[in-house]
Amino acid sequence: MNTALLSLLIAMPLAVAGILVLLRVPRPLDRVLLLAPGTVTLAVSTWLLWLVRDGAVLAHNVALWPGGIAIPLVVDAFSALMLWATSLLVVVCAAFAIAVGDDRASYFGPLVLVLSAGVAGALMTADVFNMFVFIEVMLLPAYGLLAMLGGRGRIRAGRVYVTLNLLTSTIFLSGVALVYGSAGTVNLAALAGAASESPAVAVGAGVVILALCVKAAVVPVHGWLTRAYTGTSVAVTALFSGLHTKVAIYAIYRLYAVVFDGDARFLWIGVLAFSLTMAIGVLGAVGEDTTRSILVFHMISQIGYILLGVALFTQLGLMAGIFYLIHHMFVKASLFLSTGAIEHTHGTGALDRLGGIARREPLLALVFMAGALSLAGLPPFSGFVAKLTLVAGALEAGQWAAAATAVVVSVVTLLSMLKIWGGAFWGTPPEERADQDTGEHAGGGVAVQDPPRVRPALLMPGLVLAVTTLALGLGAQVLLDLSAQAAAHLLDPSTYVEAVLR
Amino acid sequence: MTLAITIGVLVAGAVFLMLQRGMVRIILGFVLLGHAANLLLMAAGGTYLRAQPLLGYTAADEASDPLPQAFVLTAIVIAFSITIYMLTLAATGRDDDTEDAS
Amino acid sequence: MVLLILLLFLAAAVVVTFPLDRLLGRDAGWPLALVLLALAGVVLALAPQVLGEGRTIEFVRPWMPTIGVELRLRMDGIGWLFTLLVTGVGALILAYSTRYFPRGPRLGFYALMTLFAFAMTGLVLADDVVLLFVFWELTTIASFYLIGLSGPAGSRPAIRTFLLTVVGGLALMTAVVLMALKVGTTRLSVILADPVWGEDPTFASVVALLVILAAFTKSAQFPFHYWLPDAMAASTPVSAYLHAAAMVKAGIFLLMRFTPAFGALPVWNLTLLTFGLVTAVIGAVFALQQHDLKELAAYSTVSQLGLLVAVIGVGTEAALVAAAVHTFAHALFKAALFMVVGVVDHQAGTRDLRELGGLRRRMPVTATVATLAGLSMAGIPPLLGFVSKENVFKGLLEAPGPGWIAPLAGTVAVLASVFTFAYTYRFVHGAFWGSPRAPQDDVVEAVPGFVGPAALAAGLGLALGPAVSTLNPMAERAAADAVGAEDAKAELTLWHGLSVDLFMSLAAIALGALLVWWTASGERLAGRRLFPVRGVTIFEALRSGIIRLGRRTGDLTRSDAPPRHLVVPILLVAALAAAVLVIGPDVPGLYGDPSGPLDWLLVTLAVTSVCGAVVTGSRTAGLVMVGVAGFTTALWLFLLGAFDVALTQLVVEILTVVIAALVLRRLPRRFHRIPRPRAVVTGAIAIVAGASAALGAYFLTGRREPSEVSRYFLDNSEEDTGGTNVVNTILVDYRALDTLGELVVLGVAGLIIIAVLNSSGLLPAHSDRTLAVGPSSAAYDADDNTLVMRAATYVLLPLIVFWSLLLFVRGHTDVGGGFIAGLVGGAGFALMYLAAPSASVARISLAYPRIIGSGVIIAVASGLLGYLDGAFLRPLHGYVTLPLLGEQHLTTALLFDVGVYLAVVGVVLTALNQLGVEGSLPGESTGGTMAPTEDQPPTNDDDPPGRREGPPDEAEAPADRIHVDDGGVR
Repeated sequence: MNTALLSLLIAMPLAVAGILVLLRVPRPLDRVLLLAPGTVTLAVSTWLLWLVRDGAVLAHNVALWPGGIAIPLVVDAFSALMLWATSLLVVVCAAFAIAVGDDRASYFGPLVLVLSAGVAGALMTADVFNMFVFIEVMLLPAYGLLAMLGGRGRIRAGRVYVTLNLLTSTIFLSGVALVYGSAGTVNLAALAGAASESPAVAVGAGVVILALCVKAAVVPVHGWLTRAYTGTSVAVTALFSGLHTKVAIYAIYRLYAVVFDGDARFLWIGVLAFSLTMAIGVLGAVGEDTTRSILVFHMISQIGYILLGVALFTQLGLMAGIFYLIHHMFVKASLFLSTGAIEHTHGTGALDRLGGIARREPLLALVFMAGALSLAGLPPFSGFVAKLTLVAGALEAGQWAAAATAVVVSVVTLLSMLKIWGGAFWGTPPEERADQDTGEHAGGGVAVQDPPRVRPALLMPGLVLAVTTLALGLGAQVLLDLSAQAAAHLLDPSTYVEAVLR
Repeated sequence: MTLAITIGVLVAGAVFLMLQRGMVRIILGFVLLGHAANLLLMAAGGTYLRAQPLLGYTAADEASDPLPQAFVLTAIVIAFSITIYMLTLAATGRDDDTEDAS
Repeated sequence: MVLLILLLFLAAAVVVTFPLDRLLGRDAGWPLALVLLALAGVVLALAPQVLGEGRTIEFVRPWMPTIGVELRLRMDGIGWLFTLLVTGVGALILAYSTRYFPRGPRLGFYALMTLFAFAMTGLVLADDVVLLFVFWELTTIASFYLIGLSGPAGSRPAIRTFLLTVVGGLALMTAVVLMALKVGTTRLSVILADPVWGEDPTFASVVALLVILAAFTKSAQFPFHYWLPDAMAASTPVSAYLHAAAMVKAGIFLLMRFTPAFGALPVWNLTLLTFGLVTAVIGAVFALQQHDLKELAAYSTVSQLGLLVAVIGVGTEAALVAAAVHTFAHALFKAALFMVVGVVDHQAGTRDLRELGGLRRRMPVTATVATLAGLSMAGIPPLLGFVSKENVFKGLLEAPGPGWIAPLAGTVAVLASVFTFAYTYRFVHGAFWGSPRAPQDDVVEAVPGFVGPAALAAGLGLALGPAVSTLNPMAERAAADAVGAEDAKAELTLWHGLSVDLFMSLAAIALGALLVWWTASGERLAGRRLFPVRGVTIFEALRSGIIRLGRRTGDLTRSDAPPRHLVVPILLVAALAAAVLVIGPDVPGLYGDPSGPLDWLLVTLAVTSVCGAVVTGSRTAGLVMVGVAGFTTALWLFLLGAFDVALTQLVVEILTVVIAALVLRRLPRRFHRIPRPRAVVTGAIAIVAGASAALGAYFLTGRREPSEVSRYFLDNSEEDTGGTNVVNTILVDYRALDTLGELVVLGVAGLIIIAVLNSSGLLPAHSDRTLAVGPSSAAYDADDNTLVMRAATYVLLPLIVFWSLLLFVRGHTDVGGGFIAGLVGGAGFALMYLAAPSASVARISLAYPRIIGSGVIIAVASGLLGYLDGAFLRPLHGYVTLPLLGEQHLTTALLFDVGVYLAVVGVVLTALNQLGVEGSLPGESTGGTMAPTEDQPPTNDDDPPGRREGPPDEAEAPADRIHVDDGGVR
């Protein structure tokens, strides 16, 4: 393949976004234009996965400047996996947004497209400064989407989100400055192993990774996530859950593997922080009372799991972490979308105002439960393979405490998922409850009417992702193989480095 | 040394403002923080060569490092973008800022 | 292969449930029962092979080779026994269900029951520990839904059961992982035969305890015994299956399966014996206390499983023979008894012993079935239960350890059996014999299809008593597999002389009869509380405790005030700096002289402006001070040789101040006063952060020679790109991808300003007279002082535009470039805006979002042109001779810069127009806008009380409300 075409994964969505801003595109066509780049990226990244499945690295120096001078775009198994997963999520979440009418908001389409271009760029680039730029490309649309869609709290949520991210971006930038200050380059390949050799570079790269940890919502810098992601619309939450924190996680994996060369001296910090993240996140989740806030806290907990892989830094641990990452992107979005379908249909996600949905919406219940069980790591869903391999990785690396945390936390995970299940899906529907209460609260005099049904268009996106998690559980081998390949490149980045500097 | 002091002062002011109530102070803090980060980028290129990297005017071995300058230019514009957006947020909805200091 | 077919048939049965249910309703149970029966037949047909010749049947397919996990099935003696139970009992219960339920569809039930049979079969046949775990959890999931099917009453018990069994499942998973890591394979039979279990007793004990935890939760052993009666909310067929052959038997299976590895471990023997016997006794006592037949039967299961666990714990050949036979016997009589409970419930309308009695007259067949099953459970000869229980006694007498253990175990088992006899009597006599306690006129015998399956199970228990020797091959194989021996000897007979265990049986019966007499068949004990707390209560307390703790955890971050969130990363960076300082890494010396003569002036300027910004209480002053700091930064940039950047910085600073001024007039004039404590704390944090930054800057920069990359740019840019402004060539040639991203960021900022204002609207200009931007400011009251400005603008604007174009064109070779040019152009418009006499005039009537859009498109398109030379953003350049201008250097980078220029101008215009005009302006051509919605009232939890007494609610008013009177822009 001509690697120069990799740039198109960035250019294409940007161009379409530009067209959508420039021209007055009529209704059905603008939706097609919104979905098309994601679909194309999905197809292309599937092909890329095929190309890199046996360890190949596709590298391209943008504008063909010499290696080390140009900004390199690189696709190996890890980045191809991420491209594939993110593009699938973009399509699915955009479909959900269209189904609920979010796409009628100003510039929704262009913003989502720019966002996806930013994601593609951040995943492919092997240049730390360029990564900063693409993270900003990813964030700017997010600032808007967050504050323009959703409920009453969105502007406040938007303020927290913007300020926090600007602060971390600035910290990131300062880290890049320090790296350049001591290493004289920002090219990832040229920086290979630099942090493990030079303490000065380690400080700079450490600052960068710290900033990424904030963006990934690692405890203790997780609070912003719970505020920001609950204030906006469902589709946006689902989209962000699959993209923003996950790109940060990807970057942490990549940077630690390449720049620190997996330096074993600092791994304990990660094990500690990420174990805490697992525990604090899940505790927060179990204390919440709306579907969305429970799920958002869960993200934090799961981020701990995913990052534990890099803190183990063994073949098994890295593979498990990468598998977990991909699995989690789908499952989390699936859960947001299936409970989001409830939020949109019943007008609330508060558990005490829902009930009996399983009886009325058996398919939706199945979709939710698939996600919930997968999240808690039960077979036959992908979460089970993810957790199994991760616990194996932790035990193999002798991290007993982390393994124990991972195991115990999954019980609490299930507890909180069952809280949603017991509150919204089982139990008495609110309208019947009202009838029982001597008719006093009988819906404010509204005559007994059939509760609204979830439209198929709202159900489909979650269903697609639920089927994916089942498929990735039963057919885990495909993803395991690719994750193992990705892990191998992280463990020994020499192929990656050579491909970039060539 | 002098640049480092400037950076430190800017950061201290920025952090102080960022930790106060009200969006406008926070934004002003971020503006200062942006200056600090940009100066840090400049420092990263070294500060002992201070001739502008214009090939017609300056010899290649006397010019200051052009790469951080390009970085700073990019960073300034990005920071500007976010700043005007934050100003929009400050002027939207209700917030500490909308209340009089009493 | 036959094993796979077995599983596939079961899986297929799950699938065909859907059409069958639609077709047949509750009668869908018949064909499904037939399928299971046929499979049981297949299992029986395998008996000669598996039991007779002692061969194992295996099947392998790869599943997840990357982690070595296979789809590996294997049927040995244990597998055979349990498969037979699962399919055989399953068939009976499915047949029974067709008459238990009222007519109508039973989709969930049948699908889940067959799924359960599938999961159990998979579990007992798995020869890969991961596969075993998968099926183990599947049984958990299936039981969760089966219990939950019974409606709201079942949901809490279902959830409790689920959580508890998941805890066990996780223990099993941990054990599985530990085993696989240690032995290096996930193949179960290899793991069991590995020498590590003898060599490393500590490790073996840890794994053994995990396996025990898993088995105990599943098999309802003390202290987890409570879930089984709790789960009685499920419908009776479900309970029957769970108790007789499925769920709880999974735990027994697991213990038998792992006996080859752990059987010799003291911790294994001791734990199983102790907990098994305790469970056996308390289960039996609780059973005797019940009024509800179903709960009685449930506690009975707990007790019987306790005996099984204890005898498995002995670990000898004879003990495992007993375990195998008793498992078999228990499956038969417990299935029968549960089905009888269902029949009674169904026909008599209650299962409360206080309302039942004398049913034998009305339901003779059911009564006979119940009596037979009961006799087997109580261990009365010649039923199968007698033989099996006697073997359990015999097995327990072989208990390892000090000499007193075996007799003690035997005694406790007899004690449990005494209670067993008593509660069985209570069950059978209380319901069927004795005298009716309520009118039973409309009670009739159940139809054959209803009571038949129970009769079959009970009948088998009767027939297999005298013919118990037919079970010898099964018991031998199972025991041999369980102890990991080649062969085992089982001598099951109804009568084998006067032995100790016979006397134990007799003692149990005799004492049992005595107990019945003494407690009036349990009535005296019934309803009394023996333990101070119930398991369910403890569980619920634990659950709500966790939820409360969770709530607290969530409270830590429950704030929408940005500083609360910002402070944490700041402190982390400072902590990182401190850590580095403590470690004190060696840094190279300074390279060259990093200070210049004017530097100190700038430091002073910076300190002054920053102090001013921090101290001032006026928003305008703060803005001005920050502006001065920006100006200082620009001077720094000049001083460091970055002319382009300095110019950009300067223009950006001006634009920021202008736009900020537009916003400030909507806000009060003064900032909040900072309370002293807050000032001290934040001040300290600020100083720490500043020190960290200064130290970082000092120690980590300026200590190396110029980088190779910078050398490359300085040496090659002219040749590579034709440009002599190296910074600009980096921007548009070498790192054009950065610049593309940057202009997109800028463009998006414009779009989201419009989008957010469309959805929420601007605040109105502040109503009170103390405004942030004083009346003397141009931004505030345009009329007063625009005359001069306007006049100036007529002159200045063309100049500015010209300058902007000049900057643009020469950018590649001299100071300038798209960004600076665009910003300067934008600044020109800003000036025009400030000078405009009114908002409507000021509003530049251009479709500014489209300018942004076209900027992005032009930039991308110029990038795409690069593909002509091989790659995106590859500049095409050359020298052409133009009329008038002479030879000129042309490059597509210039086109790229056009895109940049347009985007910048577009955004500046957007910002000025959106923020500048009173009221919100709906965005241009945005394809539908969102209605402005009011923002949520503030609920900051760190705010002092009473802060809401501030301005009236008009601050929340929709944005298009125009305040003409406040002297705002008219």
